[in-house]
Amino acid sequence: MFKARYKEMGGELKVVKLNRCIRVNTKKITANELKARLEKKRVVLEKVPFLKNSFYVKSSKFNLVSCPEYLLGLFYIQEAASQVPVEIMKPKGLVLDACAAPGGKTSQLSEYCDVVAVENKGERLSVLENNLERLGVDNCIAYLMDFRAVSKKFNYILLDAPCSGNFMLENNWLRKNNLRRVEERSELQKELIGHAISLLNKDGVLVYSTCSLEPEEDEFVIQYALDHFDVKLEKIECIGDDGLTNIFGKKLDKNMRFCKRFWPHKTNTIGFFIARLRKC
Amino acid sequence: MLDTFVKKFTDKEIKFVKIGKKYFLENKKLEENRLNVKEKFFGLLLGQDREGKFTPSFGLLDLLSKMSNEKIFVKDIGEMDFLYGKHLRVRHVLRIEGEKKIGFLKLVQNEHDENIGYGKYVGEEGKIQVLKHRMDRGIFLKRDKEKVMH
Repeated sequence: MFKARYKEMGGELKVVKLNRCIRVNTKKITANELKARLEKKRVVLEKVPFLKNSFYVKSSKFNLVSCPEYLLGLFYIQEAASQVPVEIMKPKGLVLDACAAPGGKTSQLSEYCDVVAVENKGERLSVLENNLERLGVDNCIAYLMDFRAVSKKFNYILLDAPCSGNFMLENNWLRKNNLRRVEERSELQKELIGHAISLLNKDGVLVYSTCSLEPEEDEFVIQYALDHFDVKLEKIECIGDDGLTNIFGKKLDKNMRFCKRFWPHKTNTIGFFIARLRKC
Repeated sequence: MLDTFVKKFTDKEIKFVKIGKKYFLENKKLEENRLNVKEKFFGLLLGQDREGKFTPSFGLLDLLSKMSNEKIFVKDIGEMDFLYGKHLRVRHVLRIEGEKKIGFLKLVQNEHDENIGYGKYVGEEGKIQVLKHRMDRGIFLKRDKEKVMH
């Protein structure tokens, strides 16, 4: 079923081998310094062309999580696509990270400005706290709460919404997932994006992302936001295919092409979707 | 309890806020960003009370390493051994700064002057061991594993 859907979307259900990717913690070290230190230990790195401070690990004689540089918080192991939402947001002042754990994007945001991070699961929050401590993040406040209970207004919000995931993340993803699950997620995502927009100040920016390739969790959620709230889509300059404007018999906003979708066989990343909205 | 620990390294004061059992560095700018519910994490974690004892965070050890000269610098081999929970031996050590008083706490620094933990100084001359291991950054690996297992 998913295979046929992806074909209709212009994509493909093709599992690709990914390179491990690390993001330099520029609060502690520069990309060049870290590269030199790891290369001295015979780790072969290659700059990720579409990211500012990240490297693909081409080879390493040891597990990177056991090396001093990792334990010192000089880098974070983070899939390349999932680093894009923060890079295309470029927040200033203060940002709300709405579904924060495990903290990859939270710590990445903290390199730009102060962060309010919200997570609703205690166990996931402790993973976030552990990462913040390791990375030496000193400008983040984290809360254990449902994002829908937040009432403070922000100029920047990152909503990396809970989603059904994609076939690159789990071996049995195709067996575990079906359209009903996708639809259930879609309903939650619409609720979350609605609340996120209500928290935005005028001219505020919301970056919405998922690691789902299903239009119900991506373009349809954005269409819902455009139909119900005073927001507009902004063009994203990065790799990936343009967002879909006509799919499964639904004609969507023409500016949906400003969104980006990452097909693994094209971008050599996990499946991913990003949209950047501005409140009017 | 945080104060007592800090005094072992420096006379300088570190201002903090306490949330539950956790201590965080005072940060006026960050306070403006608070929501109207109790936070779980607030800026730089300095440590926490556990079973009546204070456990420092690595943020605090980093901070102290910039304020104190009670440090032991270790070679690469010493860094790896210490991160695996081993005590420091004479062959691990590059140099020792600050007072060489037996029983005193010392911050353990790698060749780049980055803090990797701390321990108790046990002497040098005629001794194989220099520092008894107390805490090291390898704990992040253990914590990661625990989170994955549960």
